[in-house]
Amino acid sequence: MTRRVFFRGWMYVAMVIPLALAAYTAFADPFESGGPIGSQTSDGYGALGPVVKQPIEFPHYIHAGPREKGGMEIDCMYCHTYARRSAVSGIPRLSKCIGCHQSIESVKDKPRIKLLFDYWAKQQAIPWKKVHDLPDFVRFNHERHIQRFIFKQDRPTREVCGYCHGDVASMTTARRVKALSMGWCVSCHEKDHKIDAVSEKTSHGPSDCWQCHK
Amino acid sequence: MSQSGINRRDFLTVLGLGGTTIVLGGCGNTSIESGAELVESYVQPENFVVPGVGVYYASTCAQCPSACGIMGRVREGRILKLEGNPESNISGGRICSLGQAAVQHHYSPDRLIKPMVRDNGSLQPTTWEKALALLNAKLAPAAGAGRHVWLTGPMSGHQQILLRNLVDVSVATDHVVYDALSTAVETSVNRKLFGVDQPVALIDKAALILSFGSDFLGAGDSPISAARQYARFRKAARRGLLVQIEPRMTLTGANADRWVPIAPGTEGVFALGLARELLQRKEYLGNFSAELLAAVEPYDKDTVSRITGVRADLIPHLTATLWEHTPSLVLAGRYPQGHAHGSRNTAAIALLNVVLQNQGKTLLRGAELPFPQMAPTAGDFKSFAELNKLMSAGQCRSILFHHTNPVYSAPAFMQFAENLQKVPFKAAWVTEPDETAMQCDLVLPLISPLEDFGTHVAASQPDGFEISIQQPLMGKLYADTRSFGDVLLDLLKQIKPDSYKSFPDYYAYLKSALINAKSAFDPQADGEEFWENALSSGVLRRPAPLLPLSAMEIKPEMIQQPAPSSIDVRYPFSLIPSVSPSFRDGRPANLPWLQESPDTLTTVVWDSWVELHPSTASAMQVREGDVLIIESAHGSIQAKAYLMPGLHPDSVAVPIGQGHESYGRYATGVGVNPLKILDPIFDQETGELALYATKVAIRKTDRNERISKDEGPTNLQQGRKLVATLAADRVDLAKETPIVIR
Repeated sequence: MTRRVFFRGWMYVAMVIPLALAAYTAFADPFESGGPIGSQTSDGYGALGPVVKQPIEFPHYIHAGPREKGGMEIDCMYCHTYARRSAVSGIPRLSKCIGCHQSIESVKDKPRIKLLFDYWAKQQAIPWKKVHDLPDFVRFNHERHIQRFIFKQDRPTREVCGYCHGDVASMTTARRVKALSMGWCVSCHEKDHKIDAVSEKTSHGPSDCWQCHK
Repeated sequence: MSQSGINRRDFLTVLGLGGTTIVLGGCGNTSIESGAELVESYVQPENFVVPGVGVYYASTCAQCPSACGIMGRVREGRILKLEGNPESNISGGRICSLGQAAVQHHYSPDRLIKPMVRDNGSLQPTTWEKALALLNAKLAPAAGAGRHVWLTGPMSGHQQILLRNLVDVSVATDHVVYDALSTAVETSVNRKLFGVDQPVALIDKAALILSFGSDFLGAGDSPISAARQYARFRKAARRGLLVQIEPRMTLTGANADRWVPIAPGTEGVFALGLARELLQRKEYLGNFSAELLAAVEPYDKDTVSRITGVRADLIPHLTATLWEHTPSLVLAGRYPQGHAHGSRNTAAIALLNVVLQNQGKTLLRGAELPFPQMAPTAGDFKSFAELNKLMSAGQCRSILFHHTNPVYSAPAFMQFAENLQKVPFKAAWVTEPDETAMQCDLVLPLISPLEDFGTHVAASQPDGFEISIQQPLMGKLYADTRSFGDVLLDLLKQIKPDSYKSFPDYYAYLKSALINAKSAFDPQADGEEFWENALSSGVLRRPAPLLPLSAMEIKPEMIQQPAPSSIDVRYPFSLIPSVSPSFRDGRPANLPWLQESPDTLTTVVWDSWVELHPSTASAMQVREGDVLIIESAHGSIQAKAYLMPGLHPDSVAVPIGQGHESYGRYATGVGVNPLKILDPIFDQETGELALYATKVAIRKTDRNERISKDEGPTNLQQGRKLVATLAADRVDLAKETPIVIR
């Protein structure tokens, strides 16, 4: 009999967890940052991805970071130029990196820049590793999101990219900080979003399965 | 239950909690793997390259010899999908299922990626350097007596030119082109009757097509080109009529207005009966000799009906229809060719074109080719049979295979595999090891056609002369694979270094050869510009008018039909090894997209089957799925029964293409190969294998297995009479109420 009482008590505790998670999902801000390793985002799943070691430790904070912290505030889309016209944002071509760095004498001797010019000398593409990977059955489209939030709503690029990628401008190499899971996507699609910068009209993101699973 | 401490309520609660946990876990991002894959990045791409956005490149499909122009959608350096090239006169922007599946051929997990050499009886990986050293040693002039033979599939373009040059400069070397589904009988008849190998048949110019088993929409020479013409033929102000006469329904037969089953091998008799009826009208009489008129005289409609099994009143009916629909076009397919009297059978059919005066209207001579050395070489069986004799006599020193798999497709009576063992050195160039390659001493990995350069020329060109350009749609998947053109060039450089040293690779040779030929297409263009334009459009076209076709004298013996044969009680059925549009001679059977695509007439997938007419099946008490033994004098196979109304009752049909013993994970062990049990019967005039002359017996086993097919019950309309049907000849269109669409 004692065993039975213990079992029931454990069950009540266990039932509270999904309820708490459901409440958290309903009210949490989907644009929150990931937090430390092991922390959970709105849909209750591990958000912060592992540290991905890249062939060159690219310092996003120098290129895109705020001026007051020594950054150059370069717009994300200056390098990730494909994001506004393709499903993928793409990695900038090597010639784009060299295009600027061949004229910046002050950092040419830095180890990372030397490595960059080594790849250029060999005319070899840098084998960057994918950080924000989605399962093969999911089709995310950068172009539609960028066109809607940056060009129609006129929001800052850093903020819009940050909805999904976190504040990359404060990172060295990028690291996943959002869950990128279906519940997390849907939580944003369910919100009201203004259709453009001037209108008060709002709409939701699509909720049809086939929009993402084709 | 209560004694164990868990009651029903507890159990259900725990079940609910467990379910919640599982559901939440299932929605997780478990397949997201940061850092597991590389991102495609570029050093300095062309401006039009946008990751995530496909770019289309023109090339040529190499799945069959039709030389259809294709466009490949390439993204991040990978070929994803093929479409037709609208610039191509042959494909006109269309593509068939066989062409679509070329992507799978390219990405096949069974691709050969290293050269293999036979060592102690088994094939072991080696390097190209060692492989080529072995090849050169075996092909050296002093390596012994006997012939070196290149055995290839049908070829055209510059690869053919290089191979011919190599054969010409090599000592004791021959080139044999083999095609298991050869139409060399028809070629021979055309040469005798019209003076050309293959007249151009203008389907869209005909008002009525009378086809004797020609599957031009399915497994024909150029199904895409023919289907485009057929669409125009059907959409004409006066809709074209198609009458198909054949022992087993083809895809073309299924599209016909009137499909007529005929006893196998009696097509010529029917044609002569029709010719006799037509010649009763003075307009058709022409200037035929009295001997020829006497030769067709015995074929009155009742005699023809008795021999062919076709209703006698069809002949006057068809004669009247032909009179009303001019010009017509008469086509002969593989069925009439595949008999001991195949040439005479086909000639009798071709005679109808002469009687109906179709030359110059729907049947013309192709334009003169500016580069005849690029013209396609079709395969035949006779040369292959002679090679087999050479091998059997031990007079073949080496044999080199490319784009052909005779160990699979040669009938068992030839004992080709056994004779191959008598050849001291065998080499094969393949993308994926097949039965023939597995018996070779050296197996060399080829790049896939989607990674290669090349030129192709179609046999039938209804509109001028066109060279289809093949270019890589993506980089090489495997570093150790090579182009066949590069191999030929390397071998030529060893023998004639001065002539070929200026070409570092096949690409350089091809580019130089095409730029040298620009005067035939665009004499004003700069060389580089001409080359870039050719790659961009995928075709080089030279408009040229079709020429009139003259008819040669037809002698009575050319159309003489044999006396009807009596039924062999041991082997009462005619075997029809049917040709599928997807599997052709069996080489595409390793493509699972084609395996899982339902057969166009039966909807069967991933298997072989034997077709029986329902009346035959009823008489033998055979149900669908009964495993039957099909036995000829030269072997037997087993397959599941499928009841096929579109079949002559005295025939059984088994599709060609399955039954591979060693051809990758998708083809091996699937179905049976009907080519293996063919009887040694040959066309008396040409020596070609009579594909449809084998007689078989059917025996039941005690097994019944389910057939994997998409269709439901065909005779009962899913068990309910959904749509009332009536035989076509019982419909009086005058009494039907027309449907008016407003």
